[in-house]
Amino acid sequence: MVILLILVQSSHIKGKLVEYNLQEVNGSRLVYLDNAATSQKPSLVLDCLRNYYESFNSNVHRGIHHLSAKATDEYELARQKVATFINASESREIVFTRNATEAINLVAYSWGLSNLKSGDEILLTIAEHHSAIVPWQFVAQKTGAVLKFVTLTEEEVPDVEQLKSLILKKTKIVVLHHVSNALGSFLAIGDIVQWAHDVGAKVLVDACQSVPHLPVNVQELDADFLVASSHKMCGPTGIGFLYGKSKLLSSMPPFLGGGEMIADVFLDHSTYAEPPSRFEAGTPAIGEAIGLGAAVDYLSGIGMQNIHEYGLELGVYLYDSLQALPNVRIYGPAPSETVKRAPLCAFNVENIHPTDIATFLDQQHGVAIRSGHHCAQPLHRFLGVNASARASLHFYNTKDDVDRFIHALKDTISFFNSFQ
Amino acid sequence: MQAVEELPPKLKNTVELFQSVQDPRTKYEQLLYYGRKLNPLGNEFKTRENKVEGCVSQVWVRAYLDDSKNVWFEADSDAVLTKGLAALLVEGLSGNSPPEIVKISPDFIHIMGLNQSLSPSRNNGFLNMFKLMQRKALQLYIESEKSEDQKELRSLGSNGSSVEAQQIEVSEKPSESADVKSHENEMGFTVLSERGERIIEKLERELVPIELEVEDVSYQHAGHMGAKGEGGETHFNLRIVSDKFEGKSLIKRHRLVYDLLKEELDSGLHALSIVAKTPSEN
Repeated sequence: MVILLILVQSSHIKGKLVEYNLQEVNGSRLVYLDNAATSQKPSLVLDCLRNYYESFNSNVHRGIHHLSAKATDEYELARQKVATFINASESREIVFTRNATEAINLVAYSWGLSNLKSGDEILLTIAEHHSAIVPWQFVAQKTGAVLKFVTLTEEEVPDVEQLKSLILKKTKIVVLHHVSNALGSFLAIGDIVQWAHDVGAKVLVDACQSVPHLPVNVQELDADFLVASSHKMCGPTGIGFLYGKSKLLSSMPPFLGGGEMIADVFLDHSTYAEPPSRFEAGTPAIGEAIGLGAAVDYLSGIGMQNIHEYGLELGVYLYDSLQALPNVRIYGPAPSETVKRAPLCAFNVENIHPTDIATFLDQQHGVAIRSGHHCAQPLHRFLGVNASARASLHFYNTKDDVDRFIHALKDTISFFNSFQ
Repeated sequence: MQAVEELPPKLKNTVELFQSVQDPRTKYEQLLYYGRKLNPLGNEFKTRENKVEGCVSQVWVRAYLDDSKNVWFEADSDAVLTKGLAALLVEGLSGNSPPEIVKISPDFIHIMGLNQSLSPSRNNGFLNMFKLMQRKALQLYIESEKSEDQKELRSLGSNGSSVEAQQIEVSEKPSESADVKSHENEMGFTVLSERGERIIEKLERELVPIELEVEDVSYQHAGHMGAKGEGGETHFNLRIVSDKFEGKSLIKRHRLVYDLLKEELDSGLHALSIVAKTPSEN
């Protein structure tokens, strides 16, 4: 039974007040620690969505009338906001998609199928999210290209030396995460991009766990492609984006066909629009894109550097608190002066299945964490486990949330241990 | 919603036990206790066919028939809460006949108050466990029917006119039946759907029964496996009294009815609960 009680909790980040609504779940106050799966939304974003649908809901790029012009303006303004947020050189380098998964598929089907041939190599790490792996499996099957995987070091981070050695003339694209959703580790994208470009390979960065949490500068990274999802960065679901260098996008054939992405349509063939429209077939998620723009405003208002520092600090607190419990095994590197860790921990408790832990935490304590493989089966197989539990934080979580989690976890562990 | 009284006795007891325990923590303790009592499952049974789809932990279920054609289950899981849930089902369902098992609606899951939702989502292990057990019970039943026929054929001796033991495909094909729902006539009685009418017509013609009752109980099974037909017409209770059953074993009687309704079974009818008597037995 869910009892709904709206409470408001505040957290301070470098002097900025952040409030979020809490509920009661199963008789306890909800402690939401599944942010790597999706984030909660500020009322600014909800208001923006509502305002769109109430005040200027209209199809974009198609109409002449006032509402349509307004919707189009706001939609394109959102695109500009995203471009500025990641320091793209122009807004037409931002293609709106349904989410990061669709964005990766776009690159795979459009760029991949027309540029890869038998024997070419696609380099990934075994820690990649399924969305970064599976589309490239399709491409490999269709073109005869080969997938190569970088494994982990003893410290449980991707082996950068191995990665460097695997970047060869045959390598055509390197696909990797900026921040790992299970290991919490960071990759030095800038360096890797240089090595890749030296052999003429492209780089696609999966920034789903980085764009929401720290300042990301695509020009500085010099990434060819970068993807992220709105719903992980305090924006609505149903919208995400692909960043691609202008020249690159212009060289790519369409992905989905239909309205909007065409220039002229004849019976037996059509000509196509320039990017980004070329890759935005059909009516987009207009309200949601505008909502993403509002989320970008919100995050910028707090400051991504502030969010980053707060996240690192809280992340260390989470890690240390968890590590202090007996028989807990956290995956990924230990945080230190030189090694950054994102504010998330995938872990296992000896002799207790993560599903049991997550279920009990939820039912008895209202603590929401995730259990499973977190869309990273190859990683779990490499680590030798079927599944893990994962607690992941965002800037609206507090030390108090972490304390409640640890308290609940202790109770959970003792409950199951008493039955061994 | 299916009443608790209608459940097979052991399942009924288990459900009532959990209903009576108010404190959630105690419920979990009870669940773990069940799980601990569960007989271990041999590794040779941890196969793909025995694995429950959609569980975040791993769960295997095995089923077999005893000499009285009742179904017995064994199960295992790597997570103790799911092991407890599996144990509940193993204890509650074992020892019943396939028709009895197939008749059970998953409503009891809700009554137990274990906060396991009934939506057939990817993560709904408990519901999927239950559905797998029902599927296995049905499979065993069909296989045993087939081998009964073959045994009878062999004992009768082959004399050239071979009767093919027909395989009843109870697959999960989408229903192709007419989109006519049961409806109430002006007197407020529920009128049978077209499939119901067809069933009556076929049985009357072939069995010339002195008593015939046909009841559409699809609503009891809405939402679980097999109930894919639009607006019901998937599960029926039949009660037939006919002298055509004279001299036939129970299984042969059921086989006769199934054969007569083959077309229906091929087009979305999922399960029949059959009471088949001769006039003298009535």
